[in-house]
Amino acid sequence: MTTTLPPVKRKRRQSMGIDRRPGFVLYGLLTAFILGNAYPLWWTFVVASGTNSTRGETFPLIPGGNFLSNMGKVLDAIPFWKALVNSLIVSGTITVSVVFFSTLAGYAFAKLRFKGRDGLMVFVIATMAVPTQLGIIPLFMLMKDFGWTGKLGAVIVPMLVTAFGVFFMRQYLVDVIPDELIEAARVDGANQFRTFLNVAVPAARPAMAILALFTFMMAWTDFLWPMIVLNAQNPTMQTALANLQSGYYIDYSIVLAGAVMATIPLLVLFVAAGRQLIAGIMQGAVKG
Amino acid sequence: MSFSRRRTTLGIAAGATAFALLVAGCSSSKDDDKTPATSGGNASTSGEDVTLTITTFGTMGYEDLYTEYQELHPNVKIEATNIDTGGNARTDTFTKIAAGGDGLTDIVALEEGWLGAIMEVSDSFEDLRDYGIEDRKSDWLDWKYAQGTDANGRVIGYGTDIGPEGICYRGDLFEAAGLPSDRDAVADLLEGDWAHFMEVGKQYKDATGKAFYDQSGFVWNAMVNQLSEGYYKTDGSLNIEDNADMQALWAILADGAANGLSAAQGAWDWNGGKSFVDGTFATFMCPGWMLGVVQGNTEAGGGDASTGWDFADVFPGGAANWGGSFLAVAANSKHKAEAAALASWLTEPEQQVKQFEAAGTFPSTIASAEELAASGTPNAFFNDAPVGQLLAGRAQGVKAQFKGPDDSLIQENVFGPATQALDNGSDGPSGWSQAIDLLHELVG
Amino acid sequence: MSTSSETEVAADATTRRRPQVPTRSGGFGNWLSQFDRKVTPYIYISPFFLLFGLIGLFPLAYTLYVSLFDWDLLKGKGDFVGFGNFREVLNSDLFMNSIGNTIWIFLMSSIPQVIVALILAAILDQNLRGKSFWRMGVLLPYVVAPVAVALIFSSVFNEADGLANNLLNLIGIGDQAWKHDRVESWFAIASMVNWRWTGYNALILLAAMQAVPRDMYESAAIDGAGWARRFTSITIPSIRPTVIFVIITSTIGGLQIFAEPRLFDVSNAGGIGGADRQFQTTVLFLWEMAFFRRDFGQAAAVAWLLFLLILLFGLVNFFLSRAIATSGSTSRAARRAAKKQKYLAKEAAK
Repeated sequence: MTTTLPPVKRKRRQSMGIDRRPGFVLYGLLTAFILGNAYPLWWTFVVASGTNSTRGETFPLIPGGNFLSNMGKVLDAIPFWKALVNSLIVSGTITVSVVFFSTLAGYAFAKLRFKGRDGLMVFVIATMAVPTQLGIIPLFMLMKDFGWTGKLGAVIVPMLVTAFGVFFMRQYLVDVIPDELIEAARVDGANQFRTFLNVAVPAARPAMAILALFTFMMAWTDFLWPMIVLNAQNPTMQTALANLQSGYYIDYSIVLAGAVMATIPLLVLFVAAGRQLIAGIMQGAVKG
Repeated sequence: MSFSRRRTTLGIAAGATAFALLVAGCSSSKDDDKTPATSGGNASTSGEDVTLTITTFGTMGYEDLYTEYQELHPNVKIEATNIDTGGNARTDTFTKIAAGGDGLTDIVALEEGWLGAIMEVSDSFEDLRDYGIEDRKSDWLDWKYAQGTDANGRVIGYGTDIGPEGICYRGDLFEAAGLPSDRDAVADLLEGDWAHFMEVGKQYKDATGKAFYDQSGFVWNAMVNQLSEGYYKTDGSLNIEDNADMQALWAILADGAANGLSAAQGAWDWNGGKSFVDGTFATFMCPGWMLGVVQGNTEAGGGDASTGWDFADVFPGGAANWGGSFLAVAANSKHKAEAAALASWLTEPEQQVKQFEAAGTFPSTIASAEELAASGTPNAFFNDAPVGQLLAGRAQGVKAQFKGPDDSLIQENVFGPATQALDNGSDGPSGWSQAIDLLHELVG
Repeated sequence: MSTSSETEVAADATTRRRPQVPTRSGGFGNWLSQFDRKVTPYIYISPFFLLFGLIGLFPLAYTLYVSLFDWDLLKGKGDFVGFGNFREVLNSDLFMNSIGNTIWIFLMSSIPQVIVALILAAILDQNLRGKSFWRMGVLLPYVVAPVAVALIFSSVFNEADGLANNLLNLIGIGDQAWKHDRVESWFAIASMVNWRWTGYNALILLAAMQAVPRDMYESAAIDGAGWARRFTSITIPSIRPTVIFVIITSTIGGLQIFAEPRLFDVSNAGGIGGADRQFQTTVLFLWEMAFFRRDFGQAAAVAWLLFLLILLFGLVNFFLSRAIATSGSTSRAARRAAKKQKYLAKEAAK
């Protein structure tokens, strides 16, 4: 908000409210919301740096000094590095695969015309509606038949393409890519795949970033299925952390120290992904 | 544009490579290990390399024992998976049995509560008599050995730990109420049946106005476990609806709740542990493994050894047991003999003493209990009570009770809500009919 | 980056005269491009269906098969009972109780969630300082470990002296029985769900909002539309497909809530959703049926009945959201803005 503009123009700008920096109220609301969201994570860290008795405090705010020693205990108790590598492999592979295949399929469902398109799309969505909790039994039988139990493949393969991802990319791409662009590319002589790469993928970037982030987080925090199908040879982060709950009694400061350590890679990812979600000024130009 | 295309291609390449890597060689199969074959130790086979898998849960304290065994038997490699809670372990074990039993590890830890259901499919596990368990039969308390035996006499479990019950109490609160607080005196005070326990409780309540025990559920479980026949008769039929003994106990329980003796706590929550500190209740049903829970929760609630918890060598109604586990060998194991050898070793008295020291789980073998009794190590948190010794005393005289297939379901999902109803103000008869209704709905 | 070439392509398309037939370099080339156009869509969607056929189909078929038998989890397959399991489930009070809980918790969680997520996304769409920080900040609940979530919410909703009751006491309301009372436990569970998933949905909506061209807002503002008007008449209709996505996925997810009530219930049974099953959702009921009662057949029937319920709710919500999201776009400001867009585009193409 400048002070050098003549009064009329300034009023006009302000009354439009476009691209103006938001006021304090907005920042205030946001701050309150973020604090509410972030406190449990902070709480986890505070207890992780305290002792078992810290967890009983009603509103702990200040971290103690035990974090490093608790971290040491975690590293002693579980195969942390091995689990970390396994989790990275699992989550990374799943993420790359889901994002790629979902964008591909989402683009096809959104922009290409083919017989049965809408019916198949509804089918994809419907597969999400079946509760999966009972599926662990037949899925385990399948994995046994394939000989994959105990191997990371048993955790990765079932998740290589998700209905959620396909549905998400389809919804995003259906409006974001103007049909004229695709036509134009085709007129230019590009085949389907080149059109996909040159037109769809750049437009899909923010959605791909979100999907990548969500998929990674979901794969990273998955516990039940890895617990059942993997064993000590190939722990993931979450199954390894479960070992911290053994002992004479559960020392939550150590359990939560492990949880904090397992969260750090996710937070790193946050920072990386956050950059991808910056304004679609380019998209504006494409649409314009 | 080219940037994003390169990235996509890179992405595909990375994904493909990673996938190829992991499918090709990420993890080795069970018999992969090629350690030099020394014939050291007394492995029951010819000394060839063997990898044994074992699944345990909660607090079993076997970690150091695995190392020791591997040192004694260099040809054996142990891969241990510990699952955090009994509930998750049950999901894991039941899933694998349901999927055909093939995915079970060589050795599986089974909890007492599951046995009722597992006994119906006891073929999923080996008959350990084929591996010499009968030679060791006298190692164990007879009722524990009996628990691991199915209806056809097959013994499927090596007993690991047991949960002999005593009473944990707050010495300071007893004193303030004019009751004796020294643990021997308390043992005399509380000696008797449940009706007597409730009377002492009333005394306490009259003196202090506070509740005596935390909630009705644990008391009810203890009451039922002491009966010679519990929820099931030995012939396998349900034993609840017309069971006069059970109904009499229910009346005593309801009476206690009506008199405000129960603090109506949420079990396993206990107000975040604070109720252990602030005097909401003064006694607690304490099997051996519960001592750690009491300590953990007291500390979480801001207390410590000075809070005043002590352990008395007494239990209303006589000896009682709550919980305990077994190690079983899966029928589909590819190394049954070696697995049985390991499981047997882990449950020998010497190892069980070490297990107690590591995790506080009270052993089920007589010799180890005697050793703990003799050593009398004081537990600082419980006012220096020699808990090992006291628990050993409490383990005597427990009656083995037949557990039917839905025993734990009835305990948790039928009487769980019903005892909570008592705590929330329902009277005896309506609580009982609620239980019966739930019983019909859930079990039949 | 990619702008110049893409706008070039766009400009070319509108100025160059389109040939009547596609340029061909002989019959084979034509056949190839026809093949490319007709077949590649199927190739693109095939990974999902292949994987589904390989891995996803068997569990579905298996559970359907199991639901037709008297099937004990451990003992295995029993007699064929056809729809017997379904009948038993539908007659079960506990099942109906779980359906009631599920629907109410779903309404209490999904409705506020979607609304707040929309508003939050709109706020995040603004030209904030430190955009990344705010945008990622709303996602933090998702990374908190379940054990921590259980401890915290159990503590917050503690009936004796939890944070929630303390705050209520401050404004004169007495202690609420969060863990015992039926409706209040729903509220507590819904809070857990909302806390965890609102930011998640907000980011999904944000990604869509980012693709809405700023000029549309400008034109509308020039025409005198305030921020509320712009929001309802431009933003929401422009991101309609994504709004539909969020509504459908939160419907599906909301009716399958499982983790939160399981965490909230710290009892030994750990799966019955409260002493009286006051917050036992249907998936939790399914879990109890399978792993506690070991009745695999009935549990499978529950799964399929829930599936039908979700389809029903999904369809209803789909039509509802289509109606809501379309209603704004016929407003005057939006129409005028659209006209302006066309005019500007023509100018640019000249």
